[in-house]
Amino acid sequence: MTSFLKPAWRAALIALVLAVAPSGLGSVDDAQAFALQAADPYIKEGFQVREDYWGGDLAAGEKKAVRQQLFKGNEYWFWLGSEVETAKVSVHIYDSEGKLAEQPDSWQKGHFAAAHIIPKSTGSYFVIVEVESSPEERTHWALVYGFR
Amino acid sequence: MIPLAKISKLTGGILAALSLCAHAAEAPKNVDVKQFSKKVEDVVVPLPNEVFGALNKLGGVNWREYVRNDKGSNFTERPRIALLLGSVIADGFIAVQAEDAPTVKDIGQRVLSLAKGIGVGNSITPHAKAITEAADKRNWKGVRQELDKTQNSVQQAMNEVHDQKLSQLVSLGGWLRGTEVLTTVVTKRYSEEGAELLHQPDLVNYFETRLQAMPEFNLKLIQDIHAALIEVRPLVDVGEAHIPPASVKKINEITTRLGDAITKKTP
Repeated sequence: MTSFLKPAWRAALIALVLAVAPSGLGSVDDAQAFALQAADPYIKEGFQVREDYWGGDLAAGEKKAVRQQLFKGNEYWFWLGSEVETAKVSVHIYDSEGKLAEQPDSWQKGHFAAAHIIPKSTGSYFVIVEVESSPEERTHWALVYGFR
Repeated sequence: MIPLAKISKLTGGILAALSLCAHAAEAPKNVDVKQFSKKVEDVVVPLPNEVFGALNKLGGVNWREYVRNDKGSNFTERPRIALLLGSVIADGFIAVQAEDAPTVKDIGQRVLSLAKGIGVGNSITPHAKAITEAADKRNWKGVRQELDKTQNSVQQAMNEVHDQKLSQLVSLGGWLRGTEVLTTVVTKRYSEEGAELLHQPDLVNYFETRLQAMPEFNLKLIQDIHAALIEVRPLVDVGEAHIPPASVKKINEITTRLGDAITKKTP
């Protein structure tokens, strides 16, 4: 559709569209674009980002858990994004017993957040996403992950 | 969905800077995971190369031994095609581990033909082309990415036409092939770390539950897989204990038998 545009211009156009779009008209796909933005710097560090992603909408203060099989030996990052730029979101990883399992370099900044884990054992983990605050009644979120 | 390729390097730089000035996330040290019982998304099915990557780090895997050139039979039943498609995509990841370009290219074409067989060929054509191009350039990272995109596109196309069950069979086919190879490697050279990679009870439960909800797929193969998962579950659901060599061997026998049944026409 936009093959006549050079990649840098195309990316800039996408960023512009996302920036000016009224938040109430956003979608999970828009939230995913922001989650992928958060992931982008890590691709250069060798992380393979999964094409698949998980998303939905949450009210402020509401949480959602995604159950994830992780393998000892791999290193994972989970990136959370929302298109509501004034929202504050968070993501944290817990083991199957409910114990916080993420690395201390996990971070949170406004409508972006990321959690880093080097699993100590192979098994199921809970990735818990939260919309901590938002001006919207429901806030879209999307979660992507990468591993190396 | 916006592909990764469309994400600007500039925004990446901005985000890198952002992460440096971001706050360390403060989170409760413990949570009651049961409180999320009604708010938990289904378990996420890992790509075969997630487990292959972890296995590779344990060392000494000669991936060429596990490359499969058998393209499998031509089926007309859509559930069988879906299972085979997942298995062939997993074979693609194995061929990438082995850096076997001709097999990767064959697999790209086979994936396309199987996808056409279940009516989602159009969404795969660009990926099959990209797989061939990346294999020609020996760009293994690119091939891995395209295989992931292929599986994702197939499943999205199926979901769009409300064929979620077929989409789940694609994942199952890939998981079975991945588990077959994992257990073959660990059976040949047992280690507790290698066997631990089989600790996937939630995934086994997930697939078992999904198969239970597919009574319309009245195929012996589906019934056999369901029965096999029930057999596998206690072998991998060991809590903190190690998975012993005998269990790895048993799972290998089961998944090899199912793998043969997925690829070959049975009477």
